[in-house]
Amino acid sequence: MKSILLIVLSFLIQDVVSSQVLKATAVKMSFFSEAPFEDIYAESSQGVSAIDVDSRSVYFKVPIQSFQFEKKLMQEHFNENYLESEKYPYAEFKGNIEEPIELRLSGTYWVHVSGELTIHKVTRIYRVLGKIVVKEDTLTTSSEFQVKVADHEVKIPRLLVKNIAEIVLVKVAASYPLSTVLEGQNSASH
Amino acid sequence: MKKLVCLITFCFCFSVLSAQVELADLFADSLVNEQNPGVTSTFKSTRIINARSVETVHRNDLVFLVLHRFGDVGGDAGGSETFWGLDNSTDILIGFDYGLTDLWSIGVGRAKGAPNGVNTSQQQLLYLESKYKILTQRYDESIPVSVALFGSSVVSAMKKSEFSFSDASFGQFSDRLSFTAQLIVARKFSPGLSMQILLTYVHRSYVSAHDESDLFALGFAARAKFSKRMAFIVDYFYTFRSSASKNYFKDALDFRFYNPLSLGVEIETGGHVFNLSFTNSTAILESQFIPSTSSSWADREFRWGFSISRTFSLGKSEKDW
Repeated sequence: MKSILLIVLSFLIQDVVSSQVLKATAVKMSFFSEAPFEDIYAESSQGVSAIDVDSRSVYFKVPIQSFQFEKKLMQEHFNENYLESEKYPYAEFKGNIEEPIELRLSGTYWVHVSGELTIHKVTRIYRVLGKIVVKEDTLTTSSEFQVKVADHEVKIPRLLVKNIAEIVLVKVAASYPLSTVLEGQNSASH
Repeated sequence: MKKLVCLITFCFCFSVLSAQVELADLFADSLVNEQNPGVTSTFKSTRIINARSVETVHRNDLVFLVLHRFGDVGGDAGGSETFWGLDNSTDILIGFDYGLTDLWSIGVGRAKGAPNGVNTSQQQLLYLESKYKILTQRYDESIPVSVALFGSSVVSAMKKSEFSFSDASFGQFSDRLSFTAQLIVARKFSPGLSMQILLTYVHRSYVSAHDESDLFALGFAARAKFSKRMAFIVDYFYTFRSSASKNYFKDALDFRFYNPLSLGVEIETGGHVFNLSFTNSTAILESQFIPSTSSSWADREFRWGFSISRTFSLGKSEKDW
């Protein structure tokens, strides 16, 4: 009897801990390339993200093929020739919030997030500035940072150096409903 | 009680550890499958060499096309006297393709026409064509192939021939017309390899004696990338001509039909697709190279050919996010 109680108790404790993970879907991500001949902008709203309120670890993932361009031919080249999305279908970020903030309290926090960003088979360490806004029902995160395309072995042919920037500006915005805490409790035990 | 504390501590540690790793595991790998718009770039252009590809032009894109076939490299008409065929051009096509939607494109243009002078004499060909993509292959294999329907009408604008056996001795306007219908089935097996079959029907309104007005052909095409922007391409058509018709041309006119086989290299630079090819067919349009290819690889009657396609993105597609 005692051991059963222990097991039940242990599951309960585990639940409480892992339930501090907030999830976001439809994460918006965009990038902008400014070059002498043309500006290129693409946006995806199919990213996903998770944030662990206690350990302050964060995670982002976006399907490369979900980026929408104004010119479909550009989108085709982006997938086929530059990011090779059939071989490397996702961009991923795993990181940690450096500041010891308490994400259960409402407020606006400017934080530094450092971690590993993987794009096109290459993983690099990034440290970016992010903004976290905690309200009663949602937590939102947003960030802007620069990615040097050569860092991720994305090669630009010499003919096109005036069409594609060497450094692109990436923007991310995610919204995590706080109700997922409850959902997390249910799903974590299964 | 000590045991209890131990267990709780253990569970707690375990949870914290797993929570950090788990963030990535929260999201199954099915994201792309659920939301992807289907396999793209099965082929890089609307044509392979002679064959059409399953690809249509993106919405609001205009493609300018120049296709060229030189003269025979070897054989009677080749060799150093004609600089291995480069002095001659058997067929030249200049045309435009336009994407009405992402799945439906239309094309218009003109080809010189490459009559062999025996079963066909038609030249000055104007064409109007349409291609519609019915199915798009999916990465999750729910649809394993891409399928397109292609149709084209060709009219010969040449002066009527006085030679009554010729298929250019037009009696009425409809005699100038020929049509092609194709069902194109393609599959991208890997990022570097795509294959395709083309079920082809050609109808020519007016043909020379003992020629066949309706012909079926089975086409095969493939593309294999050997670098990020370059690929080997090949296409081949088997024409189902009756042996009665073949025999007549062979016995009475000492004239043989061959199946067109083309091999080439495709080079893609953003917005342009070039190909350099060798083919035994003199003509570029289906209504001629399927029923009337009379030159043979074995007799070195193949030629150099190239095509240039340039895409212009007109208008801005509305944002769909």
